[in-house]
Amino acid sequence: MNEPNRHQPVDVGLDSAFPPASPAEEKSSGRVSFLSPLLHTFQKRSIEQRVLAGFGLVFAGILVISAISYRNMTVLIRNGDLDKRSHEFIQCLGATGEAIDDAENGHRRFLVTGDESYLAAYNTLRDRAPEYIRYLRELTDPGSTQRGHVSDLEHLINQQLQEEHAAIELRAKTGFDSVRGMALTGVAKTALDSARRLQAQMDQEETKALTQRVVESTTTTRSSIILLTIGALLLFVLLAAVYYLIRHDITERRRIADELHRRGELLEAANKELEAFSYSVSHDLRAPLRHIDGYASLLAKAASISLDDKAKRYLQTISESATRMGQLIDDLLVFSRMGRQEMLRGTVNLNQLIAALRHDLRHDLQDRAISWTIAQLPEVTGDAAMLRQVFMNLMTNAIKFTGTRPQATIEIGSLDNGPDEAVLFVRDNGVGFDMRYANKLFGVFQRLHRADEFEGTGIGLANVRRIIHRHGGKTWAEGALGEGATFYVSLPRVRPLA
Amino acid sequence: MIASKPILLAEDNPRDAELALAAMEEHHLADKVILCHDGAEVLDYLYCRGHFKTRLQGNPAVVLLDLKMPKVDGLEVLRTIKNDAALRPIPVVMLTSSREERDLAESYALGANAYVVKPVEFHQFLKAVKELGVFWGMINEPPPEGASRSAGRSS
Repeated sequence: MNEPNRHQPVDVGLDSAFPPASPAEEKSSGRVSFLSPLLHTFQKRSIEQRVLAGFGLVFAGILVISAISYRNMTVLIRNGDLDKRSHEFIQCLGATGEAIDDAENGHRRFLVTGDESYLAAYNTLRDRAPEYIRYLRELTDPGSTQRGHVSDLEHLINQQLQEEHAAIELRAKTGFDSVRGMALTGVAKTALDSARRLQAQMDQEETKALTQRVVESTTTTRSSIILLTIGALLLFVLLAAVYYLIRHDITERRRIADELHRRGELLEAANKELEAFSYSVSHDLRAPLRHIDGYASLLAKAASISLDDKAKRYLQTISESATRMGQLIDDLLVFSRMGRQEMLRGTVNLNQLIAALRHDLRHDLQDRAISWTIAQLPEVTGDAAMLRQVFMNLMTNAIKFTGTRPQATIEIGSLDNGPDEAVLFVRDNGVGFDMRYANKLFGVFQRLHRADEFEGTGIGLANVRRIIHRHGGKTWAEGALGEGATFYVSLPRVRPLA
Repeated sequence: MIASKPILLAEDNPRDAELALAAMEEHHLADKVILCHDGAEVLDYLYCRGHFKTRLQGNPAVVLLDLKMPKVDGLEVLRTIKNDAALRPIPVVMLTSSREERDLAESYALGANAYVVKPVEFHQFLKAVKELGVFWGMINEPPPEGASRSAGRSS
């Protein structure tokens, strides 16, 4: 049996209502076999979840790119600061070196000439040296080798200044001769050479660090550009995918809505046609039947003296056949109406309904011995008049097919079948049926007994099934020949999404 | 006198008409029946015009009205009767093959006094027509002539 699954989300319901768009799609997803389970779980998600996942990925991507860009920018800014410092350091180092040389040259000229104006450079170095050193120290990191070198340089400069100072004092007191040697070679030759070497080394080291940083900055910049490009591309692809998903979904929904609309129109047209058909059936087909029976009866009456029993029986059969056909037409119309009639849903108290039915049936049961067992039944959601028809049919069936039993027992009860569904049954100890024909029981005009055994047109259970199906429930039966039958109907306890 | 009031039967199908008359015959009501073959004739009778120009004044005891008739159908006739203050008191019984809810609802909405579905089985048809004839032609007290006019004035 093909029952609609009511508890699926609408989206999935619609998806399953239509076949997949094209077989090519399935093929392509099958090719990437390692991705297919992932893709499958992704496809199982609702469109909202998919779009959310897409936007989540975009957001995460933006975060990652931002973090890495920030880090790279920080490195670049720091390197820029360090580069500036290095340049200043090298410049300052150069200035210090020049000052040392100038002081040396100046003091030697003084030693030779005794002209004090030559001592300007010496004096400058003496006055400015601490400043140079302090500045150089500021431009290095504490604990670094350069900082150590600066201290060494300070020491060497101080040594030079001291030695030169001593020579200058000597020249001023004793005159040129005592310092002749000094003037030729320079007093602080060792310190000066060391200072120059140290200065060159420092310069070299700083330049090397600078070059390294430039290389690092270039690499960082390049990787930043590559990262940003790839990231932007990925984000673009992701956004395009999300856009495609949304657009695809909208198109699909629009298509389904159009399709539903079209089908609705077709259905309406078909319903109108059916209505016109059943109207003319009820009106036009019944008239000739009435005439057949009417004139047969009139004939039987008018010619009653001249007709023999056989002829009378023929006329009787004509009448009965016409009447039966009228009954079949009526049943068919009721059945058709049952399918078209609008449902008025409400809460139905089945115990009250069955008590009322038993009250209505009491006159038909006067000469019957029936023991009823009626359990406490659940409340269900449905159309009260239609459900009354269902139980009327099931109960009259049970009464009818226990007619041959001296003591009939009819049981009405319910089975526990979860919170969503109520299963109700009507059980009798009547003539039963062969389970092989169980599927025929609920068909229109299907009968498992001969007309002369039990009367009826065979529409009752068809009506039961139609009504129960319209309520979103199921019908089935169990039985055995001569051992009674049980008819089950399931009804939703809550209103299904229609 | 009550018995003098005729029963107006509107029936386009001659066989149905014959069967109905046969049923009336059983209770000797047939001679009271005036048969109209379509809706237009019913209105002609009620308004004393056309074929019925020269008939005696007065309304019938009851109009037995088929739904599906040529020219003017049963619902149209019913609407005309119930919209006319002079004709409104006449009891109108729909006698039809249709059991369609739509027809039932519309008939009662227009003011039909009863709605009888013609049974397929002749014996039941016989019984139904007979009972209708007996009830509306003999048991039921028809509205007095002129009742409509006073009712019309007061409303």
